[in-house]
Amino acid sequence: MLIALAMLGGGVVAGVFGSLLGLGGGILIVPFLSLGFGLPVREAVGVSLVCVIVTSGASAAVYLDRRVANLRLGMVLELFTASGAVIGGAIAFLIDEQLLAGLFTLLLLYTIVTMLRRPASAPAPEPTTLPESGPSAATGPAAPAPAAPIASASGTFPAFIAALSGPGYAVRNLRLGTVGAVFAGVMSALLGIGGGLVKVPLMHLFMNVPLRVATATSNLMVGITASTSAIVYLLRGGIDPLVAGPTALGVFVGAAIGSRAAHRIDLRVLRLLFVVVLAYTAFEMAQRALGAGQ
Amino acid sequence: MTRTDDRRLEASIARLLTIGTYVSVAFIAIGVVALFATGVSPLDAAPAFDLGRLPGDLVALRPAGFLWLGIIGVIATPASRVAAALVGYARSGERPMMLVSVLVLIVIAVGVATGVAAS
Repeated sequence: MLIALAMLGGGVVAGVFGSLLGLGGGILIVPFLSLGFGLPVREAVGVSLVCVIVTSGASAAVYLDRRVANLRLGMVLELFTASGAVIGGAIAFLIDEQLLAGLFTLLLLYTIVTMLRRPASAPAPEPTTLPESGPSAATGPAAPAPAAPIASASGTFPAFIAALSGPGYAVRNLRLGTVGAVFAGVMSALLGIGGGLVKVPLMHLFMNVPLRVATATSNLMVGITASTSAIVYLLRGGIDPLVAGPTALGVFVGAAIGSRAAHRIDLRVLRLLFVVVLAYTAFEMAQRALGAGQ
Repeated sequence: MTRTDDRRLEASIARLLTIGTYVSVAFIAIGVVALFATGVSPLDAAPAFDLGRLPGDLVALRPAGFLWLGIIGVIATPASRVAAALVGYARSGERPMMLVSVLVLIVIAVGVATGVAAS
């Protein structure tokens, strides 16, 4: 009972942190389960995938309802993240546990660098907008006038790209985006993360998608990406229901708490605390990767 | 497809995601309560996933039954969102997005086939 409570509590903490810092819970769940309870990294990844889908499902619904997420773009890119997830799910069962721990250590180090490079107040920079963009471009897309026709998605490739664009921005570099999406899918399946760390910068910096839209669309895509690899894990016996249950429930509750507490918390302090936690976790995972502390 | 059609489709998908997630989490929550009630440790050997055993586990109120049901719901919800999008795009005759939706479902099916083949 104590172990189940500890998993529930750890899930809550991961959910709160993930929600406040926009990371999802995956980055903490895998080290929490593997270092805290001695679970094999692969098994922890399977549980983490379930947790990631749970948080994505609830928040993606809100993003869609508020018209922040770009459904068309998300569906096109998730075709490639899901393909990457199938590949990653197959690779995950072929590679060594220590290599998996090593890859996760690299992910943690990358996350630390990303966190430290974020500006203190975390403003949402906006990409260049179309000349005809309206005021919505500065704050993310708003609901446009009813019954306005959308650019035809039939016929030429440019017309298809135009249909993927949103109010105030035009999607660019779709081919590059698809390649990056495959990579995000592989990483998600291998490491049990949502892949937002790859997808958000990819969409925002290279595809001209506003940060808010990129974040929301990435969140929407996480569901398909993680569920595709979770299916592989499930059918290959890589998901433990007794561990996944309390942890996923905790993450769900934690994410709900985090989203309500966001405006009351100094995110600079939280980010620093998170970096310290990640640095310690990276050290422990590195030891596991090197075969120590087993 | 007009913006109004888009709005409708997004709202219905949002509803589907909300319902799917909350119902799945509710089953997981029941499973966790049953876990506490029966004193089963999460570190005990877990029962393997077996769809055939699921009804029996649920009737017997075993924690694993509810946990598996919730987990399956969690994993199936995003795919059902794609199926709903396919129906929406088919109604409006938006062929490229219909094709994208079908391809996403095919990739998911490949994931199932990969898992089944290796299990």
